[in-house]
Amino acid sequence: MGGLKRKSSSNAKTLAKSKKKKGPHLPNSILKVIASQKRPLNSDEEEDDDAIDSDDEHGGDLYEYEEGVPEEESRKNNRYDRHDNYDYELPEDFEDENVESEDDVNSENDEDDDRHTRMLQSLTGMPSAAFEGESKSKPVLFTEAYPEGEFNPTRDVLEGKNVLTEEDFLAPLEGKPGYHKTSKQIARMRKDTKHVVHAPLPKPQRERLERKAVIGLVDGEFSKWVHLVKKNREAPTVYFNQDVDLGYSTVGAIASEFQPRTEFEKKMASVLNDSEVSEAHRDDGARLLELNEVSMEDHIKNRDHIAKMRSLLFRHELKSKRIKKIKSKTYHRLKNKDLKNSSLGALLDPEMAKEEAMRQEAKRVEERMTLKHKNTGKWAKRMITRGLNVKYDGTRAAIAEQLQMNANLSRKMNSMRDGSSSDESDDEEELNDGSDEDTASRLIAKAKEKTLKTMEDDGVPNAGLMSLPFMARAMKKKNEEANEEAKRALEEYEEWENSGGENSKKPVSVSGRRVFGATAKVEAPKESKKDSDNFYDSSDSDNDMAGIEDNDMEDIRDNASPAKNTNRNITETEKFDDVAGNPASKTTFDVAMFTSGSWKKMAGCKNTESKKESKKTRVPISRDQDKKGSRDEESEDSESEAEQMVDGVLTSGSKETFEIPSQAELINRAFAGDDVLDEFEKDKEEVLNLEVPKPEKPVLVPGWGNWTNIQRKIGISKRMVMEHEAEEKERKLKLKTRKDARLKHVIISEKVDKKAEKLHTTTLPFPHTSKEVFEHSMRMPIGPEFNPSTVVRELNRPEVVKKTGVIIKPVKFEEVNPNDEVDDEHPRNHQKQRPKKKTGKRQGQVKSKDESYKFLIPWE
Amino acid sequence: MRIKTISRSVDEFTRERSQDLQRVFHNFDPSLRPMEKAVEYQRALTAAKLEKIFARPFVGAMDGHRDGISCMAKNPNYLKGIFSASMDGDIRLWDIATRRTVCQFPGHQGAVRGLTVSTDGNVLVSCGTDCNVRLWSVPRPSLEDSDLSSEKSTEPSAVYTCKNALLAVDHQFEGDLFATAGAQLDIWNHNRSQPVQSFTSGSHSVISVRFNPGEPDILATSSGDNHISIYDIRMSSAARKILMRTKTNSIAWNPMEPMNFTAANEDGNCYSFDGRKNEEAKCVHKDHVSAVMDIDFSPTGREFVTGSYDRSVRIFPYNGGHSREIYHTKRMQRVFCVKYSSDATYVISGSDDTNLRLWKAKASEQLGVILPREQKKHEYNEAVKNRYKHLPEIKRIVRHRHLPKPIYKAKAESRAMNDAKRRKDERRKAHSAPGTVVTESHRTRRIIKEVE
Repeated sequence: MGGLKRKSSSNAKTLAKSKKKKGPHLPNSILKVIASQKRPLNSDEEEDDDAIDSDDEHGGDLYEYEEGVPEEESRKNNRYDRHDNYDYELPEDFEDENVESEDDVNSENDEDDDRHTRMLQSLTGMPSAAFEGESKSKPVLFTEAYPEGEFNPTRDVLEGKNVLTEEDFLAPLEGKPGYHKTSKQIARMRKDTKHVVHAPLPKPQRERLERKAVIGLVDGEFSKWVHLVKKNREAPTVYFNQDVDLGYSTVGAIASEFQPRTEFEKKMASVLNDSEVSEAHRDDGARLLELNEVSMEDHIKNRDHIAKMRSLLFRHELKSKRIKKIKSKTYHRLKNKDLKNSSLGALLDPEMAKEEAMRQEAKRVEERMTLKHKNTGKWAKRMITRGLNVKYDGTRAAIAEQLQMNANLSRKMNSMRDGSSSDESDDEEELNDGSDEDTASRLIAKAKEKTLKTMEDDGVPNAGLMSLPFMARAMKKKNEEANEEAKRALEEYEEWENSGGENSKKPVSVSGRRVFGATAKVEAPKESKKDSDNFYDSSDSDNDMAGIEDNDMEDIRDNASPAKNTNRNITETEKFDDVAGNPASKTTFDVAMFTSGSWKKMAGCKNTESKKESKKTRVPISRDQDKKGSRDEESEDSESEAEQMVDGVLTSGSKETFEIPSQAELINRAFAGDDVLDEFEKDKEEVLNLEVPKPEKPVLVPGWGNWTNIQRKIGISKRMVMEHEAEEKERKLKLKTRKDARLKHVIISEKVDKKAEKLHTTTLPFPHTSKEVFEHSMRMPIGPEFNPSTVVRELNRPEVVKKTGVIIKPVKFEEVNPNDEVDDEHPRNHQKQRPKKKTGKRQGQVKSKDESYKFLIPWE
Repeated sequence: MRIKTISRSVDEFTRERSQDLQRVFHNFDPSLRPMEKAVEYQRALTAAKLEKIFARPFVGAMDGHRDGISCMAKNPNYLKGIFSASMDGDIRLWDIATRRTVCQFPGHQGAVRGLTVSTDGNVLVSCGTDCNVRLWSVPRPSLEDSDLSSEKSTEPSAVYTCKNALLAVDHQFEGDLFATAGAQLDIWNHNRSQPVQSFTSGSHSVISVRFNPGEPDILATSSGDNHISIYDIRMSSAARKILMRTKTNSIAWNPMEPMNFTAANEDGNCYSFDGRKNEEAKCVHKDHVSAVMDIDFSPTGREFVTGSYDRSVRIFPYNGGHSREIYHTKRMQRVFCVKYSSDATYVISGSDDTNLRLWKAKASEQLGVILPREQKKHEYNEAVKNRYKHLPEIKRIVRHRHLPKPIYKAKAESRAMNDAKRRKDERRKAHSAPGTVVTESHRTRRIIKEVE
């Protein structure tokens, strides 16, 4: 306690002039801490030393406390006795050696310190740094809990204020031997601004800068892709994995990959891949036979095997014989039943049928192997050798049966069923059997037979419609006619047979056609007869027709079919390349057919005659002239024929003479009755009324709005009239604005066609910029019918071509020349590229990033 | 005189084999065929109708999990294998051809949230809410194992533990790094138990991460605070950051265009971005009526598939605003993950109803071996349809889809709302001074800013 007192008194001594400092005397270091902690509490911005003074004045220090005078000393209420102070007191003029602290020394050493600071320092005994920071720094929260030191610098040091400079260190060295050198070096370092390390920036600013740098880098990375991406986007088709080999797809290719694994496969492979065999194959194959040699052992083995099989079969045979010998009725009944069942079951059950088929097959095999029924049996041989089969019918039948069985069993499978078709084919076979010469006569004979048969077979049906009396009569008549016809035909046959016999004797090779002609002739009369029956039923002059037929049937027939006619013209005369002549001849024929017989005859004759004439005349004339002449003739002919035709139709032979009227007159006369202009006007009005309907006139409906006199007087309401007028006006306007309003002779319909609507777009589709371009893009068809097959694939190629089942890897960087033209054979993309092409070219010259970017993004 | 005849040599017209086609000669003069357009239009119509008739996209379901499927991973090296993981910690390897489980990977305690396979197909990485990253060696597919009765199960080859739950994982393309997303983004090496590198940003967790297949060092993440970030793992900080109005659930890079990626957003749309210009989306893909949960690009880069919370799977063209196809079944619940098969022929979806579903990517495509003539015919049909697709009748037929009632109603509702909004905006614009009201384009509407 005494010590404390002494200190306080010494304090009082030192700070005699100023206000007495109260509080405990603390060590310097702690005081410093207090100072640094005290600052933020009381210091506002830009505080001066005065503020500190005031601060001291009102004693805001946290650690300060008022140490009052002890009660015994204060002698307030005289409770304590007065006593002398026994403590040692220093004399007034005593100077303490330790008054100046280290800090003070420092501050003394520091020549830059201003006086004020020193004063403060001397007053408070605090380090100068505290005041320095207070005066200049902004308020910041301090958290240093440890004294300043090498590892714990003060804030001043951190902020770069009031730090020691090189001069400070150099000053004591002045005059020492290395001083000059060092100072020079330092000066050089100062000048060297390059290596100066600046203080770091605040964090947000720093981050922003960092981001900027990264952005530049990343954008650079991205920008290098631009050309590649642009190329991909512009390409009409992008291909993925086209170079990937998906492996084999054909059966042969897969088979070639085959590796034998099992023993059997290996054996097979060793045989198949035998070099000798393959070589022999590659050669002419002659050696194959040598290689195919069977060894003796194999042969014997094979033979033994067959013998064994035979013996087995024999035993089986014996067994079956024995079974057959069994006389037991019940046994046979059961057996039969089984058999029946099996045959029935074969029909019902497919499995049974299969079994049955198997059995049959076995039988067949057996038969083929043993040839049991082909007279190879012991019994049959004996019978044949002894000639018993001829003697006895039974034996013969049995042998025949055996043979039949053999034939049935050993027949090939596909001919198993006994077709009845053979019957039908018999005739043909017979026909084919004979030689060519025979066939004709045979055919005739056959025809004869048939006709005779039909003549005989004239039985009248007893029942039905045909049995009615009038039908019967008609039938009879027809039959008679047919009979007559048949007789005639028979006569003809006979005639022909006679002549044919002669013919056949001649060594003329009768071609198939001739033969056919003969047969055709057999049928031809019938046909013609029928035709004539149908065709000329109405005409009573049957004979006349016959006459015609007799006379120039052939000619008319030639004319009958225009095709034939043309053929003839072309092939025979080789002059009628103008086909126009043919219709004329046809028409003549038609006319001839339907006009009176006599005239027809005449025309036909004339026609043929004229033709003949033309033929005749043509012969001596040179080619060109000939052609011309024939043409002229032809035209003349046709003209004359036409005239005749007109005559025939219109005037029926009687000719009149009249003057030919002028064209206008003719037209006038033709359209005498009708007023075309008027009709058209009416039509137009109708159309107009339909498309722009007339408004209805307002009328007074009886019972509506005219009950009273007043109402009647008023008449139709004004509103209705007004409305009507407005509507009329509107209609007039509409009519005026129509396209055909001023065109008198034209109707232009303005009705909207709903079906045509479907074929139009309402607006210009998105990527297109002009109507023309859009229409151009739609102009050319792309189908295989409209384009050669070499182009179709190109035209229809989809935008992305990929292979299913193959992984598509992300894009790999490659250098792309931006000036390269994209192959734009694809017409679909024509319009897309067209507006952009300019930019593309410009881009080639101006290589700015923005340009390329714009080009790249289609939605911009 | 000249006579024109048709001469045909026997050599030219004799077929080598009886199966060979007869040579047919056409006169391609267009004046002879005035009806070609009408004919082709009719064919296009028929093709469109036939496409509808043959549209049978659903191939089959893979049943086996006992909880909703949370994530899937396709084996980049093996077409038939697909991995799936469920919310109960079960991981399975499926054989797509037989649609059976080949192998199981038990071990995770909570939900598995991320699955990925290394590019060589040997290492499977999984992570989940149990703060574990597990590495598994994938069993090699062989002919002997194809007897399907044996379901094997394997032990993880390595288990690494983190401090926080993990939400996503993705493997680098052709490298041995993989990234996990959780409270922070960690980059791991196969052989190290501690992350090689970590990126922290903000206080929200990272939801999804996807490496760029073209540029193996670049990856994109989306986080809970509606950010999409692009990182370069050689650098220490993010390259770009986009702040959107809603959360992005998943990201997919276009495998054929390394600068472009598409983000599946919570608002039901997908946004295609160019990695170099993020202030606006390049394309907004609209059609889903609820949050899009997952997205995967077709390996061709021309399409992507999305799975949504509205119980449907859709396929979008990479540059089209609307989907070309929607797949749904009565029993399919919320779709949490979708994958496009590596040959771009199938689509696989995993949903809440514990099933994986296998779909054809083209609903009416004829699978199996196709003869060249058949192929030609298909191509022609497709080309003709494509040519006349703008005509109203064909457009109608091609676009027509039957929708489940909830989706149909929701769509109608959202359409009505959008229309009303648009109308209101138009009127507001019409009644205010010119230039004061600016309608924002759809491409920028949902993007707040690109963080500098």
